[in-house]
Amino acid sequence: MSGRNTSWLMKFLAIVRYEILWNIRKKKFIGMFIVAFALATLTLAGGYITSAITGEPVDADPEFVISSNAGLGGLVFFLFAVVTTMNVISAEFESGTITPLLAKPLSRTTVFLGKLLAAFLTLLATYSFLIIYMAIGSFVAYGPQTNLHLIPLSLLGALFSTLIWISIVLLFGTLSKSSLMAALGPFGIWIGTTIIGQILQALSGQGWILNYIPGVGNFGYVDGSPLEGGFPVSTGTDSIGANLVNYILHPAWEVTYYKIDIEGPAQIPSWVPLSTEPLSNVILTSIAVAVVYFIVFFAVSWYVFKHAQVAE
Amino acid sequence: MVAVIETNSLTKTYGSLVAVNKLNLKVEKNTIHGFLGPNGAGKSTTIKVLIGLLKADSGSAKILGQEIGWDRPETRAHVGYMPELPKLPKHLKGTELLDIYGRMYGMTEAERAKQVPELLDVVGLGDRGTDLIGQYSKGMQQRLGLAQALLNAPELVILDEPSLGLDPVGMVEVRDLMKKLAKQGTTIFLSSHLLHEVQQVCTQVTIINRGVEVTSGSLEEISSRVEGPLKIEVEVNNLSKPILEKLEALPFVDNVSRSGKKLLIELTTRDDVRSEVSQAITNAGGVVVAMNLKGESLEDVFIDLLGTREKES
Repeated sequence: MSGRNTSWLMKFLAIVRYEILWNIRKKKFIGMFIVAFALATLTLAGGYITSAITGEPVDADPEFVISSNAGLGGLVFFLFAVVTTMNVISAEFESGTITPLLAKPLSRTTVFLGKLLAAFLTLLATYSFLIIYMAIGSFVAYGPQTNLHLIPLSLLGALFSTLIWISIVLLFGTLSKSSLMAALGPFGIWIGTTIIGQILQALSGQGWILNYIPGVGNFGYVDGSPLEGGFPVSTGTDSIGANLVNYILHPAWEVTYYKIDIEGPAQIPSWVPLSTEPLSNVILTSIAVAVVYFIVFFAVSWYVFKHAQVAE
Repeated sequence: MVAVIETNSLTKTYGSLVAVNKLNLKVEKNTIHGFLGPNGAGKSTTIKVLIGLLKADSGSAKILGQEIGWDRPETRAHVGYMPELPKLPKHLKGTELLDIYGRMYGMTEAERAKQVPELLDVVGLGDRGTDLIGQYSKGMQQRLGLAQALLNAPELVILDEPSLGLDPVGMVEVRDLMKKLAKQGTTIFLSSHLLHEVQQVCTQVTIINRGVEVTSGSLEEISSRVEGPLKIEVEVNNLSKPILEKLEALPFVDNVSRSGKKLLIELTTRDDVRSEVSQAITNAGGVVVAMNLKGESLEDVFIDLLGTREKES
């Protein structure tokens, strides 16, 4: 065929298109989008629900959209990572569609990168929509909002946090070639760090370990312990966006970590301070951890995919 | 003749199972080359190694003069491949799939705009292109699988069981399409278990069993390599003892066995002696209702070469 355009970019964008169409037509994705939309709406309605219960009027809150991190948090990151990525490699193998796909004149690296970019773009569009919805909703519900210029930082942080989960989902999916394992493996990590990790942290005082595991991370407090009304700060990769925003607004914040001591003579639980560090340290650590996991997990997934044989 | 597929001691194992064993395959340009073998013979494995879906353990292979290596997309640029019962992404529409695959081949927008509807028409999906593939029947997916294999106007088309799941009309259409493509200069490598299909369209045939090449060549060459005499199966009205005696007296007849109205005449020659047999039956007062020469069809050759004739009977 004459005039055939064999540029790498064209082929790469073909994979991106292929994957985006798959993403947005997945029932799982549509379902997750509805859930995220409902969660955002619930966040917006929180003040009004409280008002209906207590009978107190709803106050204007110019920090609402920023303080709520535009409604984006760990659970949303994890779930969106699962629904956009659990099928990226594994479902192609499970359904057999990998066979005609890899028979095309594309390198496996091109296929791999194209699928990743598609997942990223799907998330970017979804989070952008949710953030815009939250910003408009906050304005309507709680009056004019301040610090809206920090919203892109929240979006960037949300994408970065989700990418860590994506790399984990991708790793499980590529190694197992099973969509079920791609979802269950990361779910185990998420449950482990979110629930079990927090319990261990509070009781053992060894929460620093959570700083080096993807997810919500350790919990510290600014301006006093929880009993003294301290502001909670989570240190994990899920909180990069929120912490960046907090750092810009409060660069001098110091984060103190506590353990719950129940061994006193009165057997009354008390919060014992363990250590303190600047918020900037927290952010740098979580970004470094995220980058290392991201690179290692993606590199392993890429290598496995590049050498995967298609027997069926 | 130029070889478009050439393997040299190609070997592929799955654990302790040797699926392809030192295979030396040669497919010449401008031929329709049949690739035959029983289930598990290693046909699909061989094809997957050629396409780059499986990695060979040893040996080498070339497609259109290029070493296949591993993850070398350029070797697939001018090859169309239809997998056995192709699984196509159900979330895409027929036209979308062909358009996206066309982009992957580097086809321009104008080429895709021309080729996609034309191919859908050729495979009989002209009016279903805008439906999601998930709504297609098995036969329709098979047809779309064929269309995607022809999308890039390939020099070499590899078809793995293209008639599987097709209705009789579809089978005939596929055969006609293969013949048409061959006339246009496309080389077709056809893996099929339908011997009559191979016999109807192929000019060259390779038979493999347990990953090893049994024989290769033109249909005539392969038939001539079969050892042992032909047989004639004949149905006779007024079948009587004199007819049997007359037949047994013929110099090229080794044995005659009877089953109802049917006779199975084992010959000592591979010459076609049906007219002599017919004449002998008529002279002895019989009426020939039907007569078949056994041992020269591809099916006979296939069974004979694989040494399974006894098992079959």
